[in-house]
Amino acid sequence: MRLLTERLGSRARDLWTDEDTVEIQVDGAANVEVLRTLRDDPDLEFFFLTDAGAVDYGIDAHFEVVYHLFSWKHPAWLRVRARVRRDDPRIPTVTDLWEGAMFHEREMYDMMGIVFEGNRDLRRIYMSPDYRSFPQRRDFVLPDDAADSAAAGVNPLERPETWDLERFRQAPGVTFPPSEFRPDAPAEGPPSGVQDGRTLADKSRPR
Amino acid sequence: MTTTERPQPIPDPIDLDRAEEARLRTAAGLSLSVTQRRGEYAGFEDIGLPDRPPQTEREAEVYTLDEGEMLLNMGPQHPSTHGVMRLVVKLRGEVIVDIDPVLGYLHRGIEKLCENATYTTVMTYVDPMDYLAVMHNEHAPAMAFEKLYGIEAPKRAEYIRALVVELERVASHGLMMGFLSLDMGGLTPILYAFINRDEVVDLLSAISGQRMLFNFFRIGGVNWDVNDEFLSRLGTWRSHVLKNIEMNEHLITDNEIFRGRTIGMGVLSGRDAIALGVSGPNLRASGVAFDVRKAHPYSIYRELEFDLITQESGDVYARYLQRIAEIKQSIHLIDQIIDRMPHGPVQAQVPGIVRPRPGRAYAAVESPRGLYSVYAISDGGPTPYRFRMRDPSFISLQALPKLMPGHLVADTMAVMASFDPVMGGVDK
Amino acid sequence: MDPKGELARVETAIVVPDQAPDDALLREFGMEEHPQGGFHGLLEVIPTKADYVLDLIRANSLWPLLSGLSCCAIEMMSTATSVNDIDRFGMFPFRASPRQADVLIVAGTLTTKMAGPLVRLWEQMPEPKWCVAMGTCTTSGGRFKRSYSVVQGVDRVMPVDVYVPGCPPRPEGLIYGMMKLHELVKQRRGHWSTYVDRGPQRTRWEGDVR
Repeated sequence: MRLLTERLGSRARDLWTDEDTVEIQVDGAANVEVLRTLRDDPDLEFFFLTDAGAVDYGIDAHFEVVYHLFSWKHPAWLRVRARVRRDDPRIPTVTDLWEGAMFHEREMYDMMGIVFEGNRDLRRIYMSPDYRSFPQRRDFVLPDDAADSAAAGVNPLERPETWDLERFRQAPGVTFPPSEFRPDAPAEGPPSGVQDGRTLADKSRPR
Repeated sequence: MTTTERPQPIPDPIDLDRAEEARLRTAAGLSLSVTQRRGEYAGFEDIGLPDRPPQTEREAEVYTLDEGEMLLNMGPQHPSTHGVMRLVVKLRGEVIVDIDPVLGYLHRGIEKLCENATYTTVMTYVDPMDYLAVMHNEHAPAMAFEKLYGIEAPKRAEYIRALVVELERVASHGLMMGFLSLDMGGLTPILYAFINRDEVVDLLSAISGQRMLFNFFRIGGVNWDVNDEFLSRLGTWRSHVLKNIEMNEHLITDNEIFRGRTIGMGVLSGRDAIALGVSGPNLRASGVAFDVRKAHPYSIYRELEFDLITQESGDVYARYLQRIAEIKQSIHLIDQIIDRMPHGPVQAQVPGIVRPRPGRAYAAVESPRGLYSVYAISDGGPTPYRFRMRDPSFISLQALPKLMPGHLVADTMAVMASFDPVMGGVDK
Repeated sequence: MDPKGELARVETAIVVPDQAPDDALLREFGMEEHPQGGFHGLLEVIPTKADYVLDLIRANSLWPLLSGLSCCAIEMMSTATSVNDIDRFGMFPFRASPRQADVLIVAGTLTTKMAGPLVRLWEQMPEPKWCVAMGTCTTSGGRFKRSYSVVQGVDRVMPVDVYVPGCPPRPEGLIYGMMKLHELVKQRRGHWSTYVDRGPQRTRWEGDVR
């Protein structure tokens, strides 16, 4: 820990430790230098990036990109928390230091919308390329049914207005006799979902 | 009949000249793909290759075709049994030039679902992530939540945890052996692998009630103690498992075809592996002796003795041998655990809805695929504020674009199977 | 109901079949009085029996398509391998190509990204084809009920014949589901029978799997 304060100087703030983890906070723009120092310094030698994830602290607060590192020389995990602004979420990429951060950063971009400057392949990895929201943000609310979500509706399956209901309208000229219980009622058509004797089970191919 | 002009038949797009098609598309206002803009053949639009301009440098690199190259789509459904992954492979003849894995066909939003679930319910959500190493999936969140809540599981619970975790490791590594041969066309070892797996899974179903997605771990211990059925099955299993593993191993290890197809393929150096974040047996097969159980011991691994084995070559054969060696180490560990298991409770006293103090916790375990870790943030409420999982298969897949170029198409499956990715973990 | 007695004076036509059908199969399936069921000569015996034999052939050699998506795929593979063997029911060849497959066992969670390719696979399968939804994720979304990227049940995108619940269903459960599918195939009761008009359904309502 003393080593950390020595080597990183003013860039590391708010050191905290547990028996298991040491945590430092850095500013978003300085993350690459800090991680480079941590990796290359012969006394620190945090050679393995075990995890890179993002946290969203709320609509009015900030994002955080959290890196976890491992070193043979130190028994505890090192956690580096880099603060990112929420309205313009940009942070330099660490793929120059560890190539294995590429998928981590793509996932953070896909789920949170954090843009990694300098990343050569910043595209969506989990969702479809034309998906428009960032699912793990705090303002993306999970509904009980995906179709009701305000942020969903990118797929036609989630948008009721794209469902083809023409097939379920009754064909013209077909009338049914009025019910025996209400002899004056007008003729009602076949139940919805039935057209020309075919049922909803035929949805799988266009007719 | 009056002479009318015959209507011109609409030309099939495949009959059009390439330049003609590009011109018509531009006139119609449709976008042109990269290959169309370069004036080359572009008949692939309807099979899922991007028909929009490449958005990133790397995408342009992969999807731009030089003279004599072609793109082959090994789509989300293919006979390799790793699940739904799509590989877009750029080939020159049979030689792979570049590869782009497209993931996300199994993305279920587990991290988001866990933010709305209580800490105990999170155990049921993380089960189907890496569905071949289910106990490890649950071990890491259990450890992280115990750190947040500030309790320790009783000793007997830790021993039972280690026991089921090592059993799951034996089953998973045995399956990898089967899948590796299956992907190269050998249909017999997979049957033996599944026989082994079924034995282990019956064992685990005696202790947890489920064959696969166990929901066995709790915050502060495990759900049930061992029972007579489990112990009797364990005894029977232990008495013949080493013989079975060795028999299955002899089927494959000295097999000429297997050796010819795997030695020297997909060589991953130790430096590259560390830079790519590869961990677990894949990393140890490349010579780096990094095992979370030894590097940052958790649970009872400080008290157990086992060897850390590595291989030097880092090819597919080495990854296979590494896993066989680890099966034997796991059986050795299981023996020690059975010898030393203490008496005691199996679950600490924890309320039904756990409300830990606000804080952050990181816990990593050694899963059969590598370092599986959980980073959990608690805000004092009944549900986690942020629950992030780092899956090893996800990160290991980054090695594919580095290893594949230069190999033939038929080796794709061998190299991929040697990394043993499980798509549930890759896509979360 | 009939104040003027009009209906009472109408003579109802009595239909007498010209040949008493003496086939045990017709009686068994309740088709003696059906216009397509009665015997009118030798040429009608062969198609009826041939249809039955065709259905038996279809049922006993259903070739599944390898469409394991997730955890249920492992249980499906476990069903296909030595301990719980569905090769004894003729289902050993898990075809990789949809053009050669009969039944699509959707094993695993269907996500919105995968729904497109899966429906394309389904459309590529030639008829007769059946669909088995294995596991709760394909039945109704399962444990991912509130997820933003999981299709809540595969019957939202394709017609399903048999639902096998479980998370994952035990291999014995999947075998029971396939037995039910055999029943459907033999009785022409699945969704495929609504596509083509091959005559009435030969449904037996009493008894169970045969």
